[in-house]
Amino acid sequence: MADTLAEVQKQEVHGHDHDHHDQGFVSKYIFSTDHKIIAMQYLFTGMLMGVIGGYMAYVFRMQLAFPGISVPGFGQVSPGEYNSLITNHGSIMIFWVAMPVLIAAFGNYLIPLMIGADDMVFPRINRLSFQVFFVSSVVLLLSLFVEGGGFGGAWTSYPPLSASGDYNLTQLGASLWLIAVALEFVAFLLGGINFITTLMNSRAPGMKAYDIPMVCWMIVIASILFMLSVGPLLAGAVMLLFDQTLNTGFYDPARGGDPILWQHLFWFFGHPEVYVVLLPAIGITVDVMATFSRKKLFGYKLVLYTAVATGVLSFFVWAHHQFIAGIDPRMANVFTVTTLLISVPIAEMLFVMIATLYGGSITLTTPMLWALAFLAEFLIGGVTGIFLGASGADIYFHDTYFVLAHFHYTFFPIAIIGTFCAFTYWFPKMFGKMMNETLGKIHFWGTIIPFNFIFIPLFVLGMGGQHRRIYNFEHFPEIAGPEYFQLRQIATIALLIMLAFQAVFFFNVVMSWWKGEKAGRNPWRANTLEWTTESPPPHGNWPVEDLPTVYRGPYEYGHPDREEDYWPQNLPG
Amino acid sequence: MSENNEQRDEQGHDDGHHVNYFKIYVILLILFAISVVGPEVGELTGLRWITLITAFGIAFVKARLVVNNFMHLAWERRIAKWLLASSLILLLLFVAGVAPDVMNHEGNNWENVAAKQAVERGLAAASGYSEEEAESEGPVEEVIAAGFSAQNSFGQICATCHGVGGEGDGIAGAALDPAPASFIDPVFWQGRDRDRVITVIRDGAAAVGGSALMAPWGALYTDDQLEQMADYVMSFRPNQ
Amino acid sequence: MAHARPIATTRSATGIPTPRLAVWWILASEVVIFGGLLGAYLMHRIGHPEWAEAASHTQTWIGAVNTFVLLTSSFTAVLAHQAAEKGKGKEAAKLLAFTILGALTFLMIKSYEWTIEIMAGYTITANTFWSFYYTAAGLHALHVIAGAIIMGFIAVDAYRGRELHRVEIIGIYWHFVDVVWIFLFPLLYIAK
Repeated sequence: MADTLAEVQKQEVHGHDHDHHDQGFVSKYIFSTDHKIIAMQYLFTGMLMGVIGGYMAYVFRMQLAFPGISVPGFGQVSPGEYNSLITNHGSIMIFWVAMPVLIAAFGNYLIPLMIGADDMVFPRINRLSFQVFFVSSVVLLLSLFVEGGGFGGAWTSYPPLSASGDYNLTQLGASLWLIAVALEFVAFLLGGINFITTLMNSRAPGMKAYDIPMVCWMIVIASILFMLSVGPLLAGAVMLLFDQTLNTGFYDPARGGDPILWQHLFWFFGHPEVYVVLLPAIGITVDVMATFSRKKLFGYKLVLYTAVATGVLSFFVWAHHQFIAGIDPRMANVFTVTTLLISVPIAEMLFVMIATLYGGSITLTTPMLWALAFLAEFLIGGVTGIFLGASGADIYFHDTYFVLAHFHYTFFPIAIIGTFCAFTYWFPKMFGKMMNETLGKIHFWGTIIPFNFIFIPLFVLGMGGQHRRIYNFEHFPEIAGPEYFQLRQIATIALLIMLAFQAVFFFNVVMSWWKGEKAGRNPWRANTLEWTTESPPPHGNWPVEDLPTVYRGPYEYGHPDREEDYWPQNLPG
Repeated sequence: MSENNEQRDEQGHDDGHHVNYFKIYVILLILFAISVVGPEVGELTGLRWITLITAFGIAFVKARLVVNNFMHLAWERRIAKWLLASSLILLLLFVAGVAPDVMNHEGNNWENVAAKQAVERGLAAASGYSEEEAESEGPVEEVIAAGFSAQNSFGQICATCHGVGGEGDGIAGAALDPAPASFIDPVFWQGRDRDRVITVIRDGAAAVGGSALMAPWGALYTDDQLEQMADYVMSFRPNQ
Repeated sequence: MAHARPIATTRSATGIPTPRLAVWWILASEVVIFGGLLGAYLMHRIGHPEWAEAASHTQTWIGAVNTFVLLTSSFTAVLAHQAAEKGKGKEAAKLLAFTILGALTFLMIKSYEWTIEIMAGYTITANTFWSFYYTAAGLHALHVIAGAIIMGFIAVDAYRGRELHRVEIIGIYWHFVDVVWIFLFPLLYIAK
């Protein structure tokens, strides 16, 4: 008789609830295998890294607006330090803030709860993934303090600049940065296995594929994209590490290598990566919008298939980052077409959001405000991408602040707005208390309005020809005039205001956690399964004999057969 | 607690497949033997296609046998097959998208000079010339050391500021103040001679009291190459 | 530390048990990792015919022996799975032990091979061909080592009659390691 998984589980399940009685603080919170604790670990690490990345932005924007200034809280910024700051700001925000918060934290927290499971399928691999991620964060922060300082070769790390310490002047920092990035990739490969397998296999009885809340689908599709695109870059990173440390010639054309290979390896991953972070943000937004318009998602299957199509297409656009790198112009033609094409499915998802809102009974709670802001700001970001996708226009725009403003108008909605949207929406479930709405709204407006004042000037500067990754624009007489510097100063001052308002958020979190109104199980009167259990959910999420069964889809709001305007998934009939 | 869909054979296998693993193993060994002997034959006869088919073609066959029979993919749910197929397709997409730039050394309006020179050097060395394994100092140095041409070097390094025609009208030089020197301007040559040109190229203009914007390039050139560069710059000088 | 298996792990909406589903995903990501590296190598190799001189110094016969060793270890791994399916834990453990022995033999032969090559001056920096050679074979060897270690743990469990379903899982991973070598061998040793 084979020792099957089901039989083994039967023997062990009785112990499940009683197992963790006598755990000390360390094994319960530091070495936990509970998906909710691991999610919190990712969330707090990611938010802490966000503060560090934001601090870096503050320092280099002060330098740009007031060249030579001794920045309060940092000192004078040298050219080498400037390069390190922008490199690490970019790397941190993408790899150590956006991904851990949107995918690892909310994926870990929500997926088991939303599909009616008691945990992820591989809790120990889950724990391992956080541990690897934590080590990667430590290695990255360490890289900032070694001799030479943090890596200064831009987050894209092109060789030969990145391959040789003689060129980038941050030899040790460069290798530590590379190792940190590689470890982060491994952590997310491990985590991805959990998300994908759990969603595919461990759904509650009765939960068909089209009954899964969109945010779960999006996180899993994102994980799939990540797993299938990071491979070549991981190989390439090993090659770059060898070039840096062993003096091999993988990217040295005179020794038979090719620096363009790195670019391709990087962007083959780099482009799907932005959709890896975009799709979860869209998922969060869509779920929040349905709840606060009390209306069904306009086209569930449409959005799902569009997301898959976007994911597939995202593999075909990567060289639009290399239009003027010396790639064959015939390839540039192909990639222009595919890049312009990919704007269609994404625009369509935004239309679905608008259609969902239309005619809905809208309540402007804080999470809803964030969701609406995502729609508006990402729309601007996406539209400006079209200019860059056309290879002809890109000849002018490449490496200018136009690109920078474009990707901040996309990344900021994804990473920051998406995070605040999810956090304010699921805070009651995670901590059992309601957040203060007034403080939430003050924080919201104090973030969104300055955000636009930071980046619209940067569009203007970019169109005027201002290049990226420059330490001091006083060296460029044509763009060093007072009107240019005024724009830079407006952007910087807006950043200072925006950073100041984040204090409201942290204050709100602490106060609400400590003294907030008790949340109850379902304060938003939403349909999805996480709202059927206690706030916060106990270990195992539901009592073992009470695991939910699902009878309908997740967006049955305002159903004519119901008196209530919502219809939880787990209610029979 | 009932779980869903676990009513099939608990391992998830469909019943009724009985693979003779030993038979598969023997087939693999035979294929392996062919794949080792085949290239030898291919080399002896000079027929490259023999090598290709026996070494690489058989590799695909062996892989398929292992995947289907040992990993039981042939009896696995479709989703696993789709998954592996997708990863292979993406791999092919990657290679197809990158090969035109990396595998080729020239294309529509571009040429990878350094790579071509590396190939020539390697082939020349293999065919018997004494090969000095050049100590790699870095890509730019290697290119120059390999087949030095002052004109090429000027084009790659100097022209961005000084312009291809030495007129001081290079793209990167447009924003500089003072502007890059124009070598066709007789005024420039007043009080300047060949020795000074060599000094400026090697040590930068600051070394002779000029602007630091003209950087020192001495690390890139041997003395002989410096002489060649100076000659080339002098060639722009208008005749007195 | 006591660890109970969550109910989630035992569910199977797709019909594939979760551990096996997971290992297929792992393999998919490994395909693109190795594929990326080998694809990059192949493109360079085709573009640089002058590497043929360096490549001629690889030891084809040693590589062939290693190919035979890995093929045989794949065979013992699938026999172990067969035994585990029938509930014969001790026999499965024995066959896994043979597989691990195959892994160790592979590694020893490789160490010997690399020692010869390094002492002859074909180091990782000698030529970019050798850089790819050591990186690709090295990455593969790391996977062999990791696989052998995990296999050891599973064999110990199997000997005690526990968690026999894991024998199949490590077997699938092991076959993948074998398949990678099936392609590495012609790419590194035969392409001259």
